[in-house]
Amino acid sequence: MSACVHRWSMAGIRSGYLVIEGCHHCGGRCSFFSTEPTPPIDEYRQGDHFWGHLGSYQAVRFDLTCDLCAMHVDLGDVMGLMLSTCEDSGCEVGRLVRRAGRSGSVYVALCADTTHVSKTCISEAGILALNQYFNQRIRAPGKRIIVVPCRMCSRVDNCRGIVIADAGLTDFY
Amino acid sequence: MKISEVANSTGVQALNEWEESEINGVYISDMVSDIITGAKAGNILITLQTHKSLIAAANLVDVGMVVFVRGKKPADDVVELATKACIPLFYTEADTWKFAMKLAELGIR
Repeated sequence: MSACVHRWSMAGIRSGYLVIEGCHHCGGRCSFFSTEPTPPIDEYRQGDHFWGHLGSYQAVRFDLTCDLCAMHVDLGDVMGLMLSTCEDSGCEVGRLVRRAGRSGSVYVALCADTTHVSKTCISEAGILALNQYFNQRIRAPGKRIIVVPCRMCSRVDNCRGIVIADAGLTDFY
Repeated sequence: MKISEVANSTGVQALNEWEESEINGVYISDMVSDIITGAKAGNILITLQTHKSLIAAANLVDVGMVVFVRGKKPADDVVELATKACIPLFYTEADTWKFAMKLAELGIR
């Protein structure tokens, strides 16, 4: 284990689109990050899934690098961050929001497969680095940012929260 | 420079209760994805966006204050969210350019 008290900086910042797709067959959702000039909207089949386009949002991705020891944490598995407003006492995140009170804000780091059928979510190293990074920058006394993986939500697709995404900027009406 | 000095010098109007703190720079953006990578703790965030996602991003970065330009005012639930997160919200009738110029004249960059 590293003895370094990391001082994180953002690295590899890239702009693109967060593309969200839904399966007509099982109702599952998945998302990915596209750096193409126009985000893809094609429907396609993948095994038992029939994925269709649900939405695209301008978004940004980044990794974290320690200024002191050059450790690099790849955050490619983070699709977005959601400020949780969950009040469900049956959900671990909801309980955490309640415990955090006024001074703490709970952000859920969203992975690509929020159904977690694939049994994967955001890496522990990524969650730890995100917590350290955002809290290192805070100046307000007593304020705290708590980042948790979306696997902690009892039902993330129904979770109450505010996703940090630029919704609607590329839509035409 | 303190928030109260910025408010008094520029004439911005408060939208919620706030506590005094030091302002250390300015960031102008209407994209939340840009704010989380570009704004710094203690910055004044100048924006046209009035939705909750803006507050979620401003809170994550710990901006010093948010100023909505061109007279934009967020809905009550957005103000409530900002108040809970201790983010001071202000508005001004000035547009982004004119307000940024005022800050520059005060030496805030």
